[in-house]
Amino acid sequence: MSKEPGKTLLKMKVNGKAVEVMVNPTWTLLRVLREELRLTGTKKGCEQGDCGVCTVIMDGRTVNACLVLALQTESKEIETIEGLGTADQLHPLQKSFIKHGAVQCGFCTPGMLLSAKALLEKNADPTLEEIKRGISGNLCRCTGFVKIIKAIQNVHR
Amino acid sequence: MKKRGIGIGCMYYGMGYGFSRPDVSAAEVEICEDGSIIVRSGEVDYGQGSDTIFCQMVAEELGIRYDTIQLITADTFATPNAGPTSASRLTYVTGNAMVKASRAIKKTLQSVAEEILGERDLLFLDEEIFSESHPERRISFRQLAKEGHLRGLPMVETAWHDITTKDVNPETGQGDAYSTYAYAAQLAEVAVDTETGEVEVLRIVAAADVGKAINPSNVEGQIEGGVAMGLGYALTEEIKEEGGYLKTRNLGEYMIPTSMDVPPIDPHIVEVPVSSGPYGAKGVGEPALIPTAPAILNAIANAIGVRVTELPANLENLHRLIREKERD
Repeated sequence: MSKEPGKTLLKMKVNGKAVEVMVNPTWTLLRVLREELRLTGTKKGCEQGDCGVCTVIMDGRTVNACLVLALQTESKEIETIEGLGTADQLHPLQKSFIKHGAVQCGFCTPGMLLSAKALLEKNADPTLEEIKRGISGNLCRCTGFVKIIKAIQNVHR
Repeated sequence: MKKRGIGIGCMYYGMGYGFSRPDVSAAEVEICEDGSIIVRSGEVDYGQGSDTIFCQMVAEELGIRYDTIQLITADTFATPNAGPTSASRLTYVTGNAMVKASRAIKKTLQSVAEEILGERDLLFLDEEIFSESHPERRISFRQLAKEGHLRGLPMVETAWHDITTKDVNPETGQGDAYSTYAYAAQLAEVAVDTETGEVEVLRIVAAADVGKAINPSNVEGQIEGGVAMGLGYALTEEIKEEGGYLKTRNLGEYMIPTSMDVPPIDPHIVEVPVSSGPYGAKGVGEPALIPTAPAILNAIANAIGVRVTELPANLENLHRLIREKERD
């Protein structure tokens, strides 16, 4: 990769694939995902960590991609909504969200799904309280959370 | 000490714009040669599910599969005007335009099918058109669409629906205000901490008369989302400004409910069909939200005898009201 002034080479894994990208040290992970890698499934909302629509999974933990500097992800493994499932082969959580009508405008959905996935990977059978806490960093203005919680509770049923 | 109370909030809501303000919507239904459908309308679905129910309506009218419909919306280059997504009006106004356009094109298809099958008692069901008395006389929707095109018949129809009312007498307030009304009632159960003023909403039961629920899961979603917005409006959401500058500029300062704040919600769909609505349906968007804050404030009054007259009933305001009451 050619040298670009002021930029640094970042190596990380995104959705299981090794990625190399030249980044400006001031860029966030959100900017790199959306603008450089064109993974626009990760949404840009408040850009200050309030809304959670940019939630991605970094080494098994959810982070707000707007609050992580791109260079902090060096050698790390990032999972975005694009890695969760495909249109032909949806992830069980995606199927459950559809089945339970847990999507309205859809803007919170990618982040919500990733928070739910990270929760279920740590805790396969969470209580209602644990689910509420698990998605408490993801704001939703449409659904009142009721159907989202039902979708997560019943993902394997 | 924590004190519990229950309260009820009720409302009626005029559908659409009312008071002689223009309230119109258009939809265009086109049948392609391969039997697939293109629907065009300027309506905007921003999450309430109007795209879904309009496809349901067209599919219902033409007896076809929902997934054969391609919907093109909100593009002034391609779609006729449907008016704004506001006043809980899309189901009621645009829905009627969808049904009208579908029925107009169905009439053309019906005449072709009558000619081919030699029967008049035809049903459009499951992608087929058949005679009720001689069900063996049938033709697929796809074939019928092709026959319509081969005959050069109009395979596109545009419908316009207008619910503009006459208006009321400004002296008496009597007359034709709105085309129809939606009704809703909610019940809130709260626990109020008399030391801190903290209100915990334990449960909301929410009933909305939607005329006819075109998509019950969508309607429940609208009710649940409305309740969550009403809860925020009652307890935490406040726009603060100082000298013309907004002080609540982000979601850390303007506090909307999170998953931790929304109580169990028990949605009830009430269906009293309204003759002017498509299949009897009317809107639910705002009606789902309106009764929540009054129900919560009534529950607070029931719990601690304090009447909140300014929103939000947050810790600061309720704590002050409780102290004032103690002083009196």
